[in-house]
Amino acid sequence: MRLIQDIKPLFARYGTGVGLFVTIAVSLWVFVLIVLPQIAMVEISFGHNLPPAERGGPKDVYTLSNYAYFLFGNDGSFNALHVMIMVKTVLASVIVTIFDVVLCYPIAFVLAHGARPAAARLMVIGLIVPYWVNEVLRAFAFRIIFGATGLVNGLGQALGFWDEPIDFIREDVALYAGLTYAYILLMIFPIYNAIEALDRNQIEAARDMGASWWRIHWRVVIPMAKPGIASGCTMVFMLTTGALAAPQILGGPSNLWFTQLVYQWFNEASNWPRGSAYAVILVAVCILFTFLMMRVFKVKIGEIGR
Amino acid sequence: MTSSALVRFGTATFCLLFFAYLFGPLIIMVVTAFNSSSFPRIVPWDCFTTDWFGKLAADAKLVHGLGNSLFIGAGVVLVATPVGLAAALALSEVGPRLRGMLYTVFISPILMPGIVIGISTLLFWGKIGGGLGFGFDSVFFNGFFLTILGQVCFISAYSMLVFMARIQRFDHTLMEAALDMGATPGQAFVKILLPFLRPAIFSSAVLAFLASLENYNTTVFSIVAESTFTTELASKVRLGIDPSISAVAVVIIATTLFGAIVHEAWQRRANALAQGGAAAQRILGNPAAAFLRHPATVGAILAAVVGVAIYEGSHYDSSACQQDILDAKRREQQRLFDEQRLPAAPAPESSGSAPAPSTPYGGVFAPGGLGGTPAAPAPAPAPSTPYGGVFAPGGLGGGTKPNP
Repeated sequence: MRLIQDIKPLFARYGTGVGLFVTIAVSLWVFVLIVLPQIAMVEISFGHNLPPAERGGPKDVYTLSNYAYFLFGNDGSFNALHVMIMVKTVLASVIVTIFDVVLCYPIAFVLAHGARPAAARLMVIGLIVPYWVNEVLRAFAFRIIFGATGLVNGLGQALGFWDEPIDFIREDVALYAGLTYAYILLMIFPIYNAIEALDRNQIEAARDMGASWWRIHWRVVIPMAKPGIASGCTMVFMLTTGALAAPQILGGPSNLWFTQLVYQWFNEASNWPRGSAYAVILVAVCILFTFLMMRVFKVKIGEIGR
Repeated sequence: MTSSALVRFGTATFCLLFFAYLFGPLIIMVVTAFNSSSFPRIVPWDCFTTDWFGKLAADAKLVHGLGNSLFIGAGVVLVATPVGLAAALALSEVGPRLRGMLYTVFISPILMPGIVIGISTLLFWGKIGGGLGFGFDSVFFNGFFLTILGQVCFISAYSMLVFMARIQRFDHTLMEAALDMGATPGQAFVKILLPFLRPAIFSSAVLAFLASLENYNTTVFSIVAESTFTTELASKVRLGIDPSISAVAVVIIATTLFGAIVHEAWQRRANALAQGGAAAQRILGNPAAAFLRHPATVGAILAAVVGVAIYEGSHYDSSACQQDILDAKRREQQRLFDEQRLPAAPAPESSGSAPAPSTPYGGVFAPGGLGGTPAAPAPAPAPSTPYGGVFAPGGLGGGTKPNP
């Protein structure tokens, strides 16, 4: 009943036809495209990997074995390989997120308060244009730069910084550079939206009172930017952990990203239930880690994404 | 004040470095598309060539994938735009309690890892199809159907954000005025709100199309047996790197710049005309300027430039230069080969450390007459040309991974 109360203004303002269109479209989207598929995935993750003939038979029962495999492997000992890949993925995503904050905060500040309108407009275009290029191609560009005979190695050797080509792909330098690059926009615009609301007089006042530039940022601008930073960090962290193209193209041959494990279960091992379990683990770890960080930094969920 | 000047200088430097990071990789990639070297690189530069574009156009898989992508993109635009509009309308009207909850649900597909959306779509429809007794050739296992639904799942959220930004600026008194004049709510919606939202419909459609075209994470799971432009591109990149991939980037960047410039011209003109007065007069007053600044003219000029570039490029022949490079490589190879065959006695003499008989081939290949001539080639190591190192047996070590 309260639900009807809540959607009544919609019908009152735009009429029954539009109201029905909105209700039906939104319900289809939320249930058929978002919620039910997730439930199906979770359900399948508790199943055995059976050939089609045995589905619905006596062996088709729920099991925790796919989740147990992530922790204990086949033989019951600790599955250090997969757990370490998860830990490494989360840690690397945190590092990428920190890189993005450090890179984007100054740019967002300049965009909101430093640059003249014409320059700011140009900067926004400059920020958006690179993101019209396909994400696979962006990763490929970093592959060219950091390859064994790539530009960085060529320059470094020509200038005499090092003699042997450095394998930046194996050292994950290319991966960090590519992932940091991939989600810059998602960090800049939330911070920009938060700082833009700041009254310039507050900065002027702090300056008049003799605050140094870093003190102005620490005490005046950053507190204002905090919801934006939190929102940007959440998005960058979630999308970095879920990235697949960049780790596939830029990742070293020996260390995998967690999404690549999921990909292997599906495409190489053809074990869909286990792949689903790994996907569920990925989402769960992402969400739990994000909530934990919000707790640590005392950010409320309502401040995110506004 | 020096400290403020310092801060200013630091800020400018930081911005420059930042934009270098943003554009550098793209510029380098574009340049490598015109180098004849079969590994995409800038240094060493071999020959200017346009062959990679020809190779690209002949790549049937990629062209087939592009066709599929365009079809999927059109489907996604047709579904995601109305859904995004509906979601934005719902958020603008429902009560505050439901609003917060709905917003969280609507935004969640953006944060959800793309592969999870692809996997769950694939599994869900497979389960439904299997449950209803359909085979693998039915629509429930069709890559196009699954990919469109999977992409609509999160692209609708992008659409919704675009519509929300526009609806926030809507003046609701206009609707009320229409209602007072006797319009039904439905008529008011179609005649007042929809026209107001037209720019948002346009930008949301463009955004949805681009997002669909470039999506990889969701598509790679939901496409099943088919392929799209991006999945083909990714498998090409993973199989082996070659500059025809850079050529793809050139085509994409050129297309987007074309669109961006024409759109900018159109927007400036529309803004100036909407402002009226002096701003509009500046454009309309001078017929030459009015003609030159018209988006259609700008588009035609750009199209002409692109056409000339394609024509010139397709007639450019770099084979002579490539032959030169190949010959140089052969000569170099031959020289190194000879050096190895004839590591004449002077080599160890010049190094001054080892006696002549200790060189491996010294006694075998060098007959006495050759051994002592001072005109023998220089010591084998340290080739001076850039390719030298590659063809020497030891030089290959540089390219391989330093395996422990």
